[in-house]
Amino acid sequence: MTEAMPLLAVERLTMRFGGLVAVGELSFTADSAAITAIIGPNGAGKTTVFNCLTGFYKPTAGRMTLNTAAGPRYLERIDGFRIARLGVARTFQNIRLFPRMSVLENLIVAQHNGLMRASLFSVAGLFGLPRYRRAERAAVALAEHWLERVGLAEQGDIDAGALPYGAQRRLEVARAMCTRPIVLCLDEPAAGLNPRESAELSELLLGIRDGERIGVLLIEHDMSVVMGISDHVVVLDYGRKIADGTATAVRNDPNVVRAYLGEDEISSLAEVAG
Amino acid sequence: MAARLDRARAPDLPGAAKEAFLAAIVAFVLALPIIGLGTYDRGGGRLAVEPRWDWVAIGVAAVFGGRLLMALTRPARRAAGGRRSWVDRAGRALRPIQPYIALAGLLFAFVLPFMPFSNRYVMDIGTQLLIYVMLGWGLNIVVGLAGLLDLGYVAFYAVGAYSYALAAQYLELSFWVALPIAGALAAVFGVLLGFPVLRLRGDYLAIVTLGFGEMIRIVLVNWYPVTNGPDGLSGIPRPSFFGLPFAASAPEGGNSFHTFFGLPYVPEHRVIFLYFLILVLALITNLFTLRIRRLPVGRAWEALREDEIACRSLGINPTTTKLSAFAIGAAFAGFAGSFFATRQGFISPESFTFIESATILAIVVLGGMGSQMGVVIAAVVLVVLPELIREFAEFRMLVFGGAMVLIMIWRPHGLIAFREPTVHLAAWRRARAKP
Repeated sequence: MTEAMPLLAVERLTMRFGGLVAVGELSFTADSAAITAIIGPNGAGKTTVFNCLTGFYKPTAGRMTLNTAAGPRYLERIDGFRIARLGVARTFQNIRLFPRMSVLENLIVAQHNGLMRASLFSVAGLFGLPRYRRAERAAVALAEHWLERVGLAEQGDIDAGALPYGAQRRLEVARAMCTRPIVLCLDEPAAGLNPRESAELSELLLGIRDGERIGVLLIEHDMSVVMGISDHVVVLDYGRKIADGTATAVRNDPNVVRAYLGEDEISSLAEVAG
Repeated sequence: MAARLDRARAPDLPGAAKEAFLAAIVAFVLALPIIGLGTYDRGGGRLAVEPRWDWVAIGVAAVFGGRLLMALTRPARRAAGGRRSWVDRAGRALRPIQPYIALAGLLFAFVLPFMPFSNRYVMDIGTQLLIYVMLGWGLNIVVGLAGLLDLGYVAFYAVGAYSYALAAQYLELSFWVALPIAGALAAVFGVLLGFPVLRLRGDYLAIVTLGFGEMIRIVLVNWYPVTNGPDGLSGIPRPSFFGLPFAASAPEGGNSFHTFFGLPYVPEHRVIFLYFLILVLALITNLFTLRIRRLPVGRAWEALREDEIACRSLGINPTTTKLSAFAIGAAFAGFAGSFFATRQGFISPESFTFIESATILAIVVLGGMGSQMGVVIAAVVLVVLPELIREFAEFRMLVFGGAMVLIMIWRPHGLIAFREPTVHLAAWRRARAKP
């Protein structure tokens, strides 16, 4: 982290629900062209961090700075849909596609803001002006590009709700990418995937990191995915950061092992190792 | 496993009988006061109660038999592949030719006034039907596309009607000038209603919109100096044909419709003109909806219906998207309202009661939310059929209720539940493959 300005800097982020501190004094950074994983046991506050970042929750305290091309933006002050317009895209733990719209339509809706401008807020679109036709053609082309990237090129015209589970997860990633984000937040993208699908997902995420060179934030329980592709891992437990570093450093951190396995297990593990 | 499947498929007589018996008990409890006690006039305005136990018995027996039949045939219907009933299969077969059916219906609508059997009565029903079709198409934007359950749609219809009536009375505006104003005013009311209900969804939204509909009606009843209260506004001017009035005698120094075209004066001219006017207005509503579905705002409405949270995460502003749906849906009701005012020549709050909202919503829901064709079919069923079976007016509600039950069983998603995607990847690929 020698760079002066990380893509995303979270400083002393705190989120309280009544007396419960879901996230406490959390600070971390995420860079462009890097995968930052946020891991931790169930209930550690990972999804709450995402909900703060994407504006679904207003944090109790703290600062979240997104360094966009147009200068820094402080996410804690901005409405959720405007944060998305700044280039923060996300997926959801429980998939949230538009099930009764086709796969392609899901990806076109993701490009709403650009198309809305091109259609002059529907006026140009109503009269079918060439300006809107061009924008629509570009939108379909981008959607098609991402359908190919996630392996759904032949499923474009079926209802999103009719796709198998793993394909729905990939489609959600494609939909987020169609917003042309600078930060992609993935909430457990490998949940419910089989090992082969998990490996494909890892490939896809590495491709996004190296091809689009955007920042990827990843919440994940599947350690084969996390340890395989993360450049940087942040570990939470009870809403607080207990470790932060490369995958190897975090894996050997005694605090992390304790959080995941409990005190007793460590002594027995030590015996095994010894 | 196979044995269990077989048992599931075989009719379960004791279970079905129990189910039918329970349904019959509910029917008995309901029927006892509602059907069982009839009142009749004993003379001198005094009412007497007369029991009708035989009717109760018939009703309860019908419920028992119907429920038994439904329970016994359920396994067979399941085995036949979920919801794929004969209605479904017929629908599937008709789907490819749906555009031709629509075109044939449109042609029929255009030649209807010139058919030999056409008369003033047919024209009146046709006009009435088209008003409901237009209202159904307008409400389809709000309910079918944006998924906002609106139970007070008739309020915007009333705003449109009163806008024209008052504009004609106080500002002496002609119908053609007042029409866009009425639409715009209704749209403003749509936004006014939209703001407070932005956070509400589903049932809660329905209750608030229901209240809004009643508020408008009650204001119309009580604001006597302006709206003339329950007495209504009369003498609303009729529309002209590009400045040519439909009158028996031409105005001073001008022409009326029949003198200009050298036709003999027939009062039906105006009726036919009004029919074509609402036909064109309804078609504009339809074309607009078909077009806007394929635009970003239309897709955002449908996305909002599917998942509002996902919409936010994609940078769609839910506030403006919802308000635009309310405003545009309301504007079409406003147009229909000013047409209604000019056709009737007289309006009163009587015409804008909750039952109108319920009828329009029923047209949209029965037709299949979001389906333009479904709205037409449902409007025919709900508006024209009651006219045709006027002799059986007593049984109207019975038929209506029976139809609702049948649709709930066979078509739980409305008559036409199929949704055509607004963009086809295959079509784009084909277009690109061509040089």
